[in-house]
Amino acid sequence: MQIKNGKDLWAGLMFMGIGLGFIIVSSNYPMGTAVRMGPSYFPTVLGGIQVALGAIIFFRAFVSKIHHTVDVFPFRWILVVAGGALGGVVYWAESWFTQMGKIGGLLMYGLNGLALFLFIAAFGPRPLFIILCSVVAFGYLLKPLGLVIATAVLIIVSAWGGHEFKLREVVILFVALAVFSVVTFIYGLQLPINIWPDLG
Amino acid sequence: MEQLFINLGIGFGVALSIQNLLYCLLGVMLGTLIGVLPGIGPVATIAMLLPVTFTLSPISALIMLAGIYYGAQYGGSTTAILVNLPGESSSVVTCLDGYQMARQGRAGAALGMAAIGSFIAGTFSTAVIALFAPPLAEVALKFGPSEYFSLMVLGLVAAVVLAHGSLIKAIAMVILGLLLGLVGTDVNSGVARFNFGISELSDGIGFVSVAMGVFGFAEIIMNLEETGKSGAREVFVKKVGNLLPTLQDFKDCSGSIVRGTLLGSALGILPGGGALLASFAAYTLEKKVSWNSANFGKGAIQGVAAPESANNAGAQTSFIPLLTLGIPSNPVMALMIGAMMIQGIAPGPQVMTERPQLFWGMIASMWVGNLMLVVLNLPLIGMWIKLLTVPYRILYPAILLFCCVGVYSLQNSPFDVLQTALFGVVGYIFVKLECEPAPLILGFILGPLMEENLRRAMLLSRGNPMTFVERPISAAMLAIAAFLLLIIIAPTVRKTREEAFVED
Repeated sequence: MQIKNGKDLWAGLMFMGIGLGFIIVSSNYPMGTAVRMGPSYFPTVLGGIQVALGAIIFFRAFVSKIHHTVDVFPFRWILVVAGGALGGVVYWAESWFTQMGKIGGLLMYGLNGLALFLFIAAFGPRPLFIILCSVVAFGYLLKPLGLVIATAVLIIVSAWGGHEFKLREVVILFVALAVFSVVTFIYGLQLPINIWPDLG
Repeated sequence: MEQLFINLGIGFGVALSIQNLLYCLLGVMLGTLIGVLPGIGPVATIAMLLPVTFTLSPISALIMLAGIYYGAQYGGSTTAILVNLPGESSSVVTCLDGYQMARQGRAGAALGMAAIGSFIAGTFSTAVIALFAPPLAEVALKFGPSEYFSLMVLGLVAAVVLAHGSLIKAIAMVILGLLLGLVGTDVNSGVARFNFGISELSDGIGFVSVAMGVFGFAEIIMNLEETGKSGAREVFVKKVGNLLPTLQDFKDCSGSIVRGTLLGSALGILPGGGALLASFAAYTLEKKVSWNSANFGKGAIQGVAAPESANNAGAQTSFIPLLTLGIPSNPVMALMIGAMMIQGIAPGPQVMTERPQLFWGMIASMWVGNLMLVVLNLPLIGMWIKLLTVPYRILYPAILLFCCVGVYSLQNSPFDVLQTALFGVVGYIFVKLECEPAPLILGFILGPLMEENLRRAMLLSRGNPMTFVERPISAAMLAIAAFLLLIIIAPTVRKTREEAFVED
C-alpha cells in the first residue's frame, strides 16, 4: 500500500483521534438511556460517527486519485514532544511550585506559557506562530501593562512576523493605532481596560 | 396583504429613526470597507464587532451587523472589477468579466451596473422576506422537538452538500462542530463536559473565538504564507470616469439582473446557501442562457450584472431561515444568532410575534441600507480605490489589534484571546488538509440545540426513534436530507458539482 493523498491521511487521523478523544472523555459521564439521555449519550454517538468517518478518509488516502505529498505543512515533532514534556513536568510538579509562594506561581505560569509556545511553534510557517504568539501576549499583557504597551507588543511582533519589516512604518502604524484605539475603545466604547500599566 | 403594509409601516418606523439610520449607515460603510479589502471577510468583521453590540439596543445591533453582510457584497465587486482580486469570496466570478471591462476602459459602467443590479436585487429580496417569512414562521411555531431535530439534520446536510471539496470531510467537519458545541455544562444534568478542569470552559467554547480564529486568523496567516501579497496591490484604474452605464447597457442587462435576482433569492433561502453559492450559480446560468454568452470572460456586462445581483439577493434571503426558524444557513447567519443570544433573544419563529419591531425593523432596514449603498457608494468609489493601495503589511496588524480587543472585551478575559489563537492554528490545519470550516461553524451553533431536541423528542416518544419518521413533517425533512445525500453521491451530479467549483 502506498500513500497517495497525504492530506486525506492526516485528516483521517485527525478525525479518528478527535472522535476517540471525545468517546474516552465521555465515558466519565453517565450514559443514561435512550429515553432519558445522560450527558455522555450524544457525544459518544457523535464520537463513534467521527471515528468511522475518519477511518474512511484515512483509507481513502491510499486509493485516492488526487495526489498530495505526506508533508502537508511544516511540522516539527521535536517541539511537540518538548512542549508536551514541559507541560507534563509542570503539571506533575504543581504542588512544588505552589509551595514556593508567589514566585513559584509566576514561574509555573511562565513555564506553562513556554510549553504552549512550543506547541504553537510546532506547526506551520513562521507567520503562524509569531503572529499567534503576539496575539496571546497581547491578551495576557493587556490587564497588567495597559492598552498602549500591549498594542506596541502586538503590532511590532506581528509586523515582524510578516515578510517585510520597515521600522519607521511600523512605529508610525503603532502610534496611529494606539491613539485610535485609546480614543474609540476607552473613551468611545468605555471598555474597562487600562491605558497605562496598573501600578496600584 | 393589508397586514403586510401595517407591518412594513412598523418596520420603517423603526428603521428610519435617527439612531437606527446611523447604525445602518455605519454597518453598510464598514461592510463596504471590508468588502473592498481582500483578506478580511464579513465573518471576521462581525465576530470582531459582536462585543461592541453589547452596548447597543438589540435592533440597532442587528441592523448594523446585517448592514455589514450585504454591504460587503457591494464592496467586494469594486475590488473584483478594478484589481482582478475578489474582495469577497462571493465576487470571485465578477472578476472574470468585470476586470476585462475595466481593461477596456469601461470600469465605470461595470461598477455602476454592479451597484444598480445589487440594488434591484436587494429591493426584490427584501419584498421576498416580508412576504414569505411570516407564513413560514407560522408553520415553524407548530414544530415539536422531532421536527426541529429533523430540520437541523436537513440544514446540516444541505450545508454539507453545498460545501466545496470532499463530501465526507464536510460531514466530518459538521460532526466536529457538533462535538465542540457540546463542550461546557450540560443543561440537563449540570455536568461540566470536556472542560479538562479549565473553569473558563465550563460555559462552553466561545463562539466568537472559534469563528474569529478559524476564519479571521487563519486567513491572515494564509495570506502571509503566500508571498507577494504583503506588498501593494496594483490598481488598474486610477480614476473611474462615467459611472452611469449607457441605455444600451441597461437593455442588455435587464434579463440578466432579473435572472440573477430570482436565482439568488431562491438559493439564499436554502440551508447552506447565501451570497457565495448564488453568485457562482448565476454566472454559470447566465453563461448558458445569455445571447451574449460568446463574449463571457471577455468583458460581457451581463457577466457582472447577473452574479452581482444574485449575491446581494442571496445575502438577504439567507435571513429567512434565521428569522423564521432560528436556523443559520451560513457562518454569517450563525454569528447573527450569536448576536441575538448576546442580547437575550432566543432565535426562532416567536421573534416575529413577540418582537415585531425587531423583526420588521430589520427587514425595512435592509431596503434602507441598500438605498444608502447605491447613493453613497458610487460617489465614494475614489476613496475605496485609495484604500486598496494600502499595503497588506500595514493592514494585518491593525486587523489583528481590533480582533484581539474584540475578543478580550467579550468577558474581559485573556483566556478568550488564547482560545482564539489556538483556533487560528486549528483553522490553518483545516485549510492545509482541505477541510472546509463553514460546516464546522454551523454544527457548532447547532450542537447544543440538536442534543436538546433529540432528548426531548426521545423522552416524548418514550425512547422510540420511529418518532422521527412517523411524524409527517419530520419524515419529509429527513427524506429530503437523504435524497440530497443520495444525489450528491450519484456520479453525474458529483461531476457537475466539481465543475461548478473549479473556477474557485
